[in-house]
Amino acid sequence: MDPGLILVQTFNGLVYSSILFLVSSGLTLIYGIMRVLNLAHGSLYMVGAYLGITVVLYLMSGTPLGYLLAFLAVPPLTGLLGAALERGLIRRTYEMGEEYQLLLTFGLILIFDDLVKMIWGPAYINFPDPNAFLGGFRFGEYKIPVYHILLIALGFSVFLVLWAFFSKTFTGKVMRAAAQDSEVVEAMGVDVSKIFVYSFFLGSLLSGLGGISAGPLYTASPGMGTDIIVYSFAVIVIGGMGSVPGALAGSLIVGVFRSLAIAFYPQMEIVVVFVIMALVLLVKPTGLFGAPEFERR
Amino acid sequence: MIAKLEDVVVEIKGVTVLRGVNLEVREGEAVALIGRNGAGKTTTIKTIMGLLRPKSGRVYLLDEDVTQKPAHERANMGIGYVPEGRRIIPDLTALENLEIAYGGKVPEDLLEWVLQFVPDLKRFLDRKGLYLSGGEQQMLAIARGLIRKPKLLLLDEPLEGLAPKITAIVTKTLKQIRDEGFSMLISESGIVKRLEGLATKAYGIDRGEIVYEGSLEGILSDEKARSRIWGV
Repeated sequence: MDPGLILVQTFNGLVYSSILFLVSSGLTLIYGIMRVLNLAHGSLYMVGAYLGITVVLYLMSGTPLGYLLAFLAVPPLTGLLGAALERGLIRRTYEMGEEYQLLLTFGLILIFDDLVKMIWGPAYINFPDPNAFLGGFRFGEYKIPVYHILLIALGFSVFLVLWAFFSKTFTGKVMRAAAQDSEVVEAMGVDVSKIFVYSFFLGSLLSGLGGISAGPLYTASPGMGTDIIVYSFAVIVIGGMGSVPGALAGSLIVGVFRSLAIAFYPQMEIVVVFVIMALVLLVKPTGLFGAPEFERR
Repeated sequence: MIAKLEDVVVEIKGVTVLRGVNLEVREGEAVALIGRNGAGKTTTIKTIMGLLRPKSGRVYLLDEDVTQKPAHERANMGIGYVPEGRRIIPDLTALENLEIAYGGKVPEDLLEWVLQFVPDLKRFLDRKGLYLSGGEQQMLAIARGLIRKPKLLLLDEPLEGLAPKITAIVTKTLKQIRDEGFSMLISESGIVKRLEGLATKAYGIDRGEIVYEGSLEGILSDEKARSRIWGV
């Protein structure tokens, strides 16, 4: 085995981990914390990528400023879209049970996929390469693009911000408390329905940020949301539902192992993720960072 | 009047749990609500808190009709809640649990004020809820209910599941709170003795109906209450 290839594939894995973390930290907020099964979380990732390409390519013709603008403007937009979905549709299913959430949010996936085809067309759209202006480094016979390094930095920065938010700020603590016992928190004078909207906003913002980050790596395509959501669920099962550090650990594991599998044994690309998931479930059913299961109400 | 239920009917998942409950808590009273498990005590308290909505009937708090008000608004009107099973947030420290109930950082003098009722709490303010004993959790739950100096404190079976020694301490704490002028509604699953010297008035409840209203001592000699609640 070529050690250079192992290093490069690990690096590529970290890039994928970073994107996976953005999406799965949002998912762990919405599913792990609020117990809302939102399959359409991946659709917001897709919408993030398409809105991104609209800004970067169609409005700003691939300039660095276009990229900057897209990274600043698109995530809040997907956040608002997520909050609107919660208020308008998903909220109605809370009293009905998870099977209704599954049906509704699966329906949303189909609608979003078709809307994307109607607006942007069914063909894959390539982003202009950000490394055209960012450049890259040589590493032996391999090239390390600066954009990839920035993505890894972005993933870790978002982790630090989320960690500080949930452990240091009052709103973050209220969100954690509402996740553990929403009824008691409501009886303490907190409008829990607002906490749900905040969570959807934040979770969808992260998913959209993941989408715009991934766009230049993998092109924008209808159905890209479905691919990421499957891995994201594996990530939060491995890391532990509702845990942001868990989402980071799960993303690192899934991203790196998948990337190494692609290089050395491509047939195992998907299997390896679910073998790891099964092993974690056998050893620690609550996931690596999952809290000991307390009674949820 | 602090709290009043008027002909309240509550259904949970299609099952009628309260069948026309009338109940009143006046200023400064410590009212006991006595009944067996499943009699409707928790449902009554949750209906006052706003966590359950009546199918018919009205709920009044501080002379205002609050039947349609959500729980968080009732909490902000001055209703403190000490839930059954305590329900401390396990992942947060004792102090953080108080902060959630207060709505931000608890001022030093307010913390001192609450600690005079539950002085032991001082020892474990920085410990996570998960690592507190039953008695410690109950102290914290009472402090959490009191932290905003409520006009009415709802206590759902505060003496349940505690060691006898701790039960005595909690009862003493509650008396102290009553003597400060706080109005309370306390549910108890049948051991009337535990509330002696604390409750100024009692209701007996069975199968969602009020079967007794009067003094605490009187419930033991009242024939209807005895046969409905204790089957003797």
